Amino acid sequence: MTLAAFAYQRPRSLAEAVEAMAEAPDARWLSGGMSLLPMMKLELAAPPALLDLSGVEDLRGIRDEGDFLHIGAMTRHVELARDPAVRRDAHLASLAAERIGDPQVRNRGTVGGSLAHADPAADLPAALLALDAEVEAVSARGRRALSVQDLLLGPMMTALEPDELIVAIRIPKHTGHRQAYTKVPHPASGYAVVGVAVAIHEEGGRVRQAAIAVTGVALKAFRAARAEAVLAGQAVDQEVLAEAAGLVCDGQDVLGDVYASAAYRRQLAQVVTRRTLEGLR
Amino acid sequence: MASANPSDRSEAAFTYIGKSRHREDGPAKLVGAGGYVADLDPAGSWYAHLVLSPHPHARIRGVDTRAAAAVAGVKAVYLGDALPEADLLAESEVFYAGEPVAVVVADDPAVAEDAAELVEVDYDVLPAVVDAEAAMRPDAPLVRQLEDTAGRADAGAHGDAAGGSAKTEERPNNVSAVVKYRRGDAEAARAEADVSVTRRYHLPPLYQGFLETHGSSAHAERTGETTIWTTTQGQFMVRNAVKRLLKLPDYRVRVVGATVGGGFGGKGVLLEPLVATLSQRLGRPVAMLLDRQQDILVNNPGPAADIEVTLSARSDGTLVAIEARLVFDNGAERGGSAGIACLMLAGTYRCPNLDVLGYDVMTHKVPIGAYRAPGAPQGYFALESAMDELAGTLHMDPLQLRLKNAVQEGDDRPDGRTWPRIGLLECLRAAAAHPFFEEPLGPNEGIGVAAGGWGGGLEPAAAACQVTSEGRLVVQVGSIDITGTNTTFALIAAEELGLSPDEVHVQFADTAHAPYAGMAGGSKTTYTVGLAVAEAAKAVRKQVLEIAAERLEAAVEDLDMADGAVHVKGVPGRSVTLAEIARDTARFGGRTAPLIAEGRSAVTKSAPGFAVHAARVAVDPDTGEVRVTGYLAVQDVGRALNPKEVEGQILGGVAQGIGRALYEDLAYDSTGQPVSTSFLDYQMPTFHDVPRVDIVLVEVPAEQGPYGAKGVGEPPAIPGAAAVANAVAAATGRRVATLPITPERVLAAQ
Amino acid sequence: MVATEERVAITLAVNGRDEQVSVEPRWLLSDVLRRECGLKGVHVGCEHGVCGACTVLLDGEPIRSCLMFAVQAVGHQLTTVEALGTADHLDPVQQAFWEAHGLQCGFCTPGMVLTARALLDRNPNPDEETIRETLSGNLCRCTGYQFIVDAVLLAAAKRAEDAEQGA
Repeated sequence: MTLAAFAYQRPRSLAEAVEAMAEAPDARWLSGGMSLLPMMKLELAAPPALLDLSGVEDLRGIRDEGDFLHIGAMTRHVELARDPAVRRDAHLASLAAERIGDPQVRNRGTVGGSLAHADPAADLPAALLALDAEVEAVSARGRRALSVQDLLLGPMMTALEPDELIVAIRIPKHTGHRQAYTKVPHPASGYAVVGVAVAIHEEGGRVRQAAIAVTGVALKAFRAARAEAVLAGQAVDQEVLAEAAGLVCDGQDVLGDVYASAAYRRQLAQVVTRRTLEGLR
Repeated sequence: MASANPSDRSEAAFTYIGKSRHREDGPAKLVGAGGYVADLDPAGSWYAHLVLSPHPHARIRGVDTRAAAAVAGVKAVYLGDALPEADLLAESEVFYAGEPVAVVVADDPAVAEDAAELVEVDYDVLPAVVDAEAAMRPDAPLVRQLEDTAGRADAGAHGDAAGGSAKTEERPNNVSAVVKYRRGDAEAARAEADVSVTRRYHLPPLYQGFLETHGSSAHAERTGETTIWTTTQGQFMVRNAVKRLLKLPDYRVRVVGATVGGGFGGKGVLLEPLVATLSQRLGRPVAMLLDRQQDILVNNPGPAADIEVTLSARSDGTLVAIEARLVFDNGAERGGSAGIACLMLAGTYRCPNLDVLGYDVMTHKVPIGAYRAPGAPQGYFALESAMDELAGTLHMDPLQLRLKNAVQEGDDRPDGRTWPRIGLLECLRAAAAHPFFEEPLGPNEGIGVAAGGWGGGLEPAAAACQVTSEGRLVVQVGSIDITGTNTTFALIAAEELGLSPDEVHVQFADTAHAPYAGMAGGSKTTYTVGLAVAEAAKAVRKQVLEIAAERLEAAVEDLDMADGAVHVKGVPGRSVTLAEIARDTARFGGRTAPLIAEGRSAVTKSAPGFAVHAARVAVDPDTGEVRVTGYLAVQDVGRALNPKEVEGQILGGVAQGIGRALYEDLAYDSTGQPVSTSFLDYQMPTFHDVPRVDIVLVEVPAEQGPYGAKGVGEPPAIPGAAAVANAVAAATGRRVATLPITPERVLAAQ
Repeated sequence: MVATEERVAITLAVNGRDEQVSVEPRWLLSDVLRRECGLKGVHVGCEHGVCGACTVLLDGEPIRSCLMFAVQAVGHQLTTVEALGTADHLDPVQQAFWEAHGLQCGFCTPGMVLTARALLDRNPNPDEETIRETLSGNLCRCTGYQFIVDAVLLAAAKRAEDAEQGA
């Protein structure tokens, strides 16, 4: 199989990358390619030029920045899954990363690439939403931060300008929070039919803060605000969990497809949410 | 050793047969030197790429090839009417989405692919007949004129295997064949029966799922000799198709079967006539390799079926009537799967009253071909699901119900023949005795059982054996080795000659050089070619013994062969090695004629093989997710010549059965568009989905097979879907009658 | 910027050798390894990143060469099945696949062997569950996987034995 031709450049620094994009505004960023290449192969994307980010050192590395973890955008899923700091301070991100695709995908796919691609059934967006993460984006116009919540607009759609590049993800530390990611994968593609990410902070037997994010169910990953509200301030028991789980898709336009109808997906999301919450008790 | 019927011999009498040996093609495949068709690149080759129709039914108004032809490197662009002998491209009308309409040839594969995108086809879109039931209605438009269609060669090859020869009767619209088995008065028997169960089952079309796509290349030389390299299960079948279509004498077509990266019935004849035609026209070698999406669209898959079954029985479990109506959706060619399905559905259990009616129906979908035991998994999914339901209604153990009714040697088949010695009862008994059923079940777990059978194919075959000057044996065959058959042939020859299998080399040769052998399909390669190998080896043995008799001054009857030497029985030390004898057959001034012989077989009796499977599944009551947690596969293999490879066939068949049960669906939307056109959509079982399998090999020897062996490839792919469905029913009380058993269907089932 | 359809000269470090190749940016690593480097053990199965037949090791880790452009592999160490044993001297993992009947048609085999090899390099004594999880990105249509799992377990045992004898 031969893909449509494209121009190619491998910038050596962030500045060079931003400059190259300014000169070729139709270009697309290439990081791990685990989403972009399948799309090009299925003829869903045909970028005239690719800017390969693998030579940009500034996009690598995981750093402790006090209350935050700084995750370079080119961090691969396998690194996110294994990194001791992430496992300690933002465990949910590791848990989601280790459920992405299969080992070959995790060895190439990157955090920034996954977020920028914004597949509505991808795993990381749910985990990063639940962790209140933000992304740092850069372009010729400068640098800005935006929350993952604000980043995700719809299927394969983000708030990034075409020339903007995610350089890092900043995750507030969730050390000591109870975290879990449960996924029902599509048996062929490995994407989530339903994926539920939960982070719960309890104090004195009551939920102080509950974050529930869901992927695979709607046109973008979302926070289940009503379900979270049910848990907030509660001493959690079976009944409360069930009530929260029942509300997980509240207000969402649930997707149906060949594999799972909307009604089934809704039910699956509720079951998965309940079980994930139960598993954290 | 020289027993006329080797199956009489007890196991202890064998030196090599029945002892597992690793595949002789293992090292080459393991180091990446397998020799697949994509690895062969004829020097100076050009490359062809297909243009496919996006519409299930349309008239071709016009084609603009100018842009494609203008691309640098493009050598030719052909439309179907220019290449009728290629037997692949549509001429004026397309009958399925994905039907090839043009081919672009270039000096580089990427250029051919790029240029194919530029071929502009102007279609007049016509209404498509997508549903088989709808196609049969009197007011349905004709999919195409029947006389324009040809039965696909490979499906036909399998169809003959079961020997189904039912009467053809009145045909509804778009029906290419009607199969009818009637016996007694089924309706009256049902009226008088104590219990009846009725249900309608649906199976989707399936893709064979081989990891290597179709690919072929050809070189038509100016002398008129045409050589074809291709991935096929039957090189002689390809030769016969090409010589017929291109109107060449058979000796001028040489087909070289490459190593096959999975066939499962799907690798018959496809691209070969096209590449041969292109090479002939262009005077250059031409190669074509389908990409995965094109392979899914153009390859002939296994058919969808709708089957309604009614079983009626007395309260003691005795079957009194089988009624069934089967509709096979064969796509835009004749196909032919209903025959085998009807025969097995009506013939597996003793039953005095039958009313079984099968239809092969045409629709605007890709023409179907053969997929591992074509027709049988469909028929048995319906029959064995219904048997399970009947057992439940009768409160009878499902294995006991089957034991009570199973056919055995001498019973009538619905086609007027009688069953030869078969192992269905033996398999059922072996299953019933297995501890698999005693292991405690977890919550939401259940066990289901199902049987299945395959008629077994026949085809004349020949092989040759020759002793090299070093005293090794070379076995020459023309059968394609997919399942390890060459390794089995080495064991057979080794056994006959008392020679270590390490000293036996099986050489595959092309159609110009090899003795005839049929396609590796229908579970018949070991059964037929294996017998020819045994005959050839016996003949060489005789030559060796005659020479040795002179050298050792002993009578032939007093000689024996073992460990690569001829010994005088009872006289230790009086022996001559094969190498010593052979040395004189290939040297200047030698006086011994070369040791070489042919063996031939034309087996007249097929050896049906039966299997009984039991699946244990755990069903998530909230999500409907089904996990197979245990599996028992019992199979009558006649005799396991190379047991580990036989087990390998069974394990692969079990996995494909689980895929059919739970995951696979070559789905179309309501307009006739295929929607599972990549492995991102077409779900095959992974490492997570197939459990460890307990295997029991039952050996009820075949009358004519080598050492009693039967074909083993097809039976293990048959019972799986029903076994899993029955296990789901046992775990949940819900019966899913539509495959695949998706989580959603489990929750929706009653 | 390398323009569309312009070729670029790159050096790929394959199986311990530097290979100079001239490629279009759009050429996939799998195709370049097969066509330009002659490494036919890189099998192209599904082309959409599902089947794993095209698996090669990139800096020792399994990746799909059909989901990567050859230009992206510059600066990395590539290993294909050709770097393991020869037909007469199989590597212990290959030998175990052979002995345990862990292959049939052989098309998935190089990818399986490489993925298994990378696993054993990282985890010399994996249990069955780990083997199944680690190999889950490789499809096999012939074997039903059981003998492949057995092969990896056998390979682990063989390597342990070799290590003991070497020590």
